[in-house]
Amino acid sequence: WCLSLTTSSIPDCLSKAPPPNPPHWGLGFQVLYLVWAFIPESWLNSLGLTYWPQKYWAVALPVYLLITVFIGYVLLFGVNMMSTSPLDSIHNITDNYAKNQQHKKDQEEAIPALRDIPISEVNQMFFLEAK
Amino acid sequence: MAGPGAGEQAMEDERSFSDICGGRLALHRRYYSPYCLEFCLSCPRISLRSLTAVTCTVWLAAYGLFTLCENSMILSAAIFITLLGLLGYLHFVKIDHETLLIIDSLGIQMTSSYASGKESTTFIEMGKVKDVIINEAIYMKVIYYLCILLKDPVEPHGISQVVPIFQSAKPRLDCLIEVYRSCQEILAHQKATSASP
Repeated sequence: WCLSLTTSSIPDCLSKAPPPNPPHWGLGFQVLYLVWAFIPESWLNSLGLTYWPQKYWAVALPVYLLITVFIGYVLLFGVNMMSTSPLDSIHNITDNYAKNQQHKKDQEEAIPALRDIPISEVNQMFFLEAK
Repeated sequence: MAGPGAGEQAMEDERSFSDICGGRLALHRRYYSPYCLEFCLSCPRISLRSLTAVTCTVWLAAYGLFTLCENSMILSAAIFITLLGLLGYLHFVKIDHETLLIIDSLGIQMTSSYASGKESTTFIEMGKVKDVIINEAIYMKVIYYLCILLKDPVEPHGISQVVPIFQSAKPRLDCLIEVYRSCQEILAHQKATSASP
């Protein structure tokens, strides 16, 4: 009983193999890049294709790309460090959204509305009443 | 820990805390009157180990350059640089102790004493002080620091500026809570007396 229930509940699309992907445009560019990188200059010239970039770039461009990726990691870390506000910045305490928030009236027996509590109140709650 | 009562002498006590890097700090508290308080936070002294390490690296680097260049001026320059660097560090960078003096009717004064004896003082009058709070911020990691919020002349409930205190000593939360509680007592008293003219 249980087995028949579980096998019948598998949807039909999962039981069949997935359909093959249609070929996409990137495939053509990859084939072109490999042809340019590997086939010697003389063969391409004999075919009539003479105006190619130098084969040096077939190796240089991937290396440039990798170095850019690694430096991107370092740069992202640096940008993060630079955007951290210093200790004497007002942005550690409040910002425009907190200053302009509307104060809703508290209803009876209801959870108070969500709001940004000023830092003085937070401090009093944490540090003064803990005795 | 009680107030001085009828006596004229100042009450003092001293406790030991640690800063965010693990060094030992000494918090020295003096009550000059019930509402006039001074906190003195002493930073750890410059250690012999770090001094010898820096001197050895500078002199080894200079000796390495000397073997390359065969110019003996490099060695004397290294000695000169080490001496000047040490003097400059003691006079401009290394802080020996930081003091916070609160007088409820006058204001708050912060003093930083450098290792060479130089003192730099900042005074904020009580009319400008909105509150003294402990805030959390990111400084290579999340730290707690004590700061003074200054009132905004334009907006009654706004904050115009944040002045962090004990910046060089960087004590941990237990020390900050002590200072915060005492400051809040004095500020509450000041608000009560200023609200009833």
